[in-house]
Amino acid sequence: MDSLKEDLKKQIIEQLNLEDLTAADIADDALLFNDQGIGLDSIDALELIVLLEKYHGIQLTNPEEGKEAFKSINTMAEYIRKRKAA
Amino acid sequence: MGVCITGIGIVSAIGMSVEENLNALREGKTGIGPLHYLRGTKAQLAGEVKASNDDLRASLGVGTGYVSRTSLLGLQAAREAWGDNKRSGVIRTGIISATSVGGMDRSEVFYKDYLAQNSPDYQLLTTHDSGSTTERIARELGITGYIDTLSTACSSGVNAIMLGARLILQGTLDRVLVGGSDALSGFTIDGFRSLMIYDDQWCRPFDDSRAGLNLGEGAGFLLLEGEKSLELTGNKPICNVSGWANAADAYHQTASSPDGKGATLAIQNAISRAGIGLDQISYVNAHGTGTKNNDHSESVALQNVFGDRVPPFSSTKAFTGHTLAAAGAIEAVFSVLAIQHNLIFPNLNYRTPIAETGLVPATRLETGAEVNAVLSNSFGFGGNNSSLVLTKYE
Amino acid sequence: MSKPALYISAASTISHQPTFRNAGFSETLGPVEASSALISPDYKAYIDAGLLRRMSKILRMSVACAKDCVEQAGSGQPDAIVVGTGLGCLQDTEKFLNTSLTVEGLLPPTSFIQSTHNTMAGQISLSLGNHGYNMTHTQNTLSFEHALLDAAMLLREGDRNVLVGAADEHIDILNDIAVQLAFEATAPLTSAASFFILSDEHTGNAAAALADLFTSGATDNAQEEIDAFLDRNGLQPGDIDLALYAGKPVSGVARNIDYLPLAGVYPTASAFAMHYAVDVLSENSKVRNVLICNTLRKSNLGLILLQAVEA
Repeated sequence: MDSLKEDLKKQIIEQLNLEDLTAADIADDALLFNDQGIGLDSIDALELIVLLEKYHGIQLTNPEEGKEAFKSINTMAEYIRKRKAA
Repeated sequence: MGVCITGIGIVSAIGMSVEENLNALREGKTGIGPLHYLRGTKAQLAGEVKASNDDLRASLGVGTGYVSRTSLLGLQAAREAWGDNKRSGVIRTGIISATSVGGMDRSEVFYKDYLAQNSPDYQLLTTHDSGSTTERIARELGITGYIDTLSTACSSGVNAIMLGARLILQGTLDRVLVGGSDALSGFTIDGFRSLMIYDDQWCRPFDDSRAGLNLGEGAGFLLLEGEKSLELTGNKPICNVSGWANAADAYHQTASSPDGKGATLAIQNAISRAGIGLDQISYVNAHGTGTKNNDHSESVALQNVFGDRVPPFSSTKAFTGHTLAAAGAIEAVFSVLAIQHNLIFPNLNYRTPIAETGLVPATRLETGAEVNAVLSNSFGFGGNNSSLVLTKYE
Repeated sequence: MSKPALYISAASTISHQPTFRNAGFSETLGPVEASSALISPDYKAYIDAGLLRRMSKILRMSVACAKDCVEQAGSGQPDAIVVGTGLGCLQDTEKFLNTSLTVEGLLPPTSFIQSTHNTMAGQISLSLGNHGYNMTHTQNTLSFEHALLDAAMLLREGDRNVLVGAADEHIDILNDIAVQLAFEATAPLTSAASFFILSDEHTGNAAAALADLFTSGATDNAQEEIDAFLDRNGLQPGDIDLALYAGKPVSGVARNIDYLPLAGVYPTASAFAMHYAVDVLSENSKVRNVLICNTLRKSNLGLILLQAVEA
């Protein structure tokens, strides 16, 4: 199990008040911003930017950049690893 | 005869009076710059009124320190609009103000001390609620009876004018002072920063490179009178409030719909209420905040309504900053000035049209054309969209 | 004389009392206890989960009552949504104020977005998919009355059905502030929302008629204004079967009930009183005229005259 991905799921549930979900309900490749996936919206995208800074020390100043990074848990984990390696 | 405007008052980053504001608009001089009076915020640039609370209290003759900046700014503009008018036992007079932050500028002073357990002054909170900001203005002017406050975020000011006009037409009031007031606060500056739509550079409404808004503060007030009141006061009408509409976008909590649904409805209904043709609108004072989302959505709405014959338009927010609930009232006063002096104000900081819509705003002060009817837009959070049509008094 | 009556064709209240979907509640209600809490329905039955997860107390109450009203009235999409609130979204306001003063880094935006007074009206329009007139009045203890006045005007301008209501929420710091500012509450501070459908026609399901209403700010002679109001409606104090009051009882009426002990104290408690009055009028055919007299704040007078609907 990828611990970064598991942590991310828990952090997202907390930050976005996804009361009805548990980490197990979010698949690594589920589309976060699709209604067939988790159904997040543009306010959530801003909350995810806060989450990245708060838990991972990563600053993302251009909301557009988030669009790619926040597609799924997989892309978020990949983005965090890339930024940390840089 | 309908509803007439007989008095106007304004305070904003570009001046403490109608005259000062008009001069700055003519000269293309912005009031946006680094903050001088409100300290400790993260804003690089804002449209601050160039007076401290002490200055305002002294010039307005307000003794107590327990008064919000929102009330002081409101009173400054309301006094100017009210002018030499007298209280009357016969003319039913009311006041409607609009505010989004109310006394937040005082409450945040309290709350900081409260969190630090540093003997917080609870009396500061007596100015917190939005209604009290209007009650304070009413008290200073001696207006009793119909006293109301609207709070619909950034469209509030237009809504106050609309409500005032309706009250006169229904015969509930003969005369009503309407407007809006909002002071800068750390709360709103942090709020718009958290939404990532606060530009650290000068805001660029309707420009392709726009990256957000600069907040501002101020107040605008207008004195509206119906036929009976005019007969008794003998005041000379400046303009008519001819059309108005409010519509909900019902799309998203903060974002405007990409098809501009709510804005389109508001514009269409306001013009149709005014009973004039689309081609009679001489100038559009746009909401134009400088955010990606608003300016795109508003451009689409303008094209929905006017097709390829969009009238000359501009946003004046690059002069004043976005003054939230005051914006609709301040821009209504600007619209009155446009009609009074046959002016079209420039949209500062504009270079390149928005790629998707290609609309080009007025970029220079235009003095050549007759301005008979102005459409003024104000759109807010929660999809609250309002439009106003003012026309030359005939 | 007054204008033609308007009709209240639905009413819904969430409060510290068993008011929600409980017709006849007025007959059994006792004073609200200091230890009481908000009695919340299953919000999921009324609000989309995607919206619900972000909502504070005041938003949940408001949207649920609004939806309940629309369902009860069965008249489809209302033409307009008008809300009154004295203090607005306090929970989110305090949350963002706290964050803004204590957090150094990026700030989460949700509580800021939901701190504006028109969040209730906005969320209701989103939940109903309503594109009509959407307004929020905030005038201290008269916020509800001003919303109701606006709604009544809309109906006279041609609207058929308007959703109108009020909400205020309690947060802990209010108790502390009340003590510090020496505000003597006669009952516990509470949270509640009440919504109504106001209609221009009696379509069979109306529980009461709104005969007239009036507000006066900075007033110094409430009694004179009450007399004039009744007179305009062709009534004497003795014609009022029931007065629901906050502040001072109304002299000369058949019966006075202080509604604050029932509703608890919050700026828009007169909306609770209006639902209470509607409930009394639909349960007790002997009651014909009910006056709600709101002087929760002494200098602000709000008057609402309700009447039984002729069968």
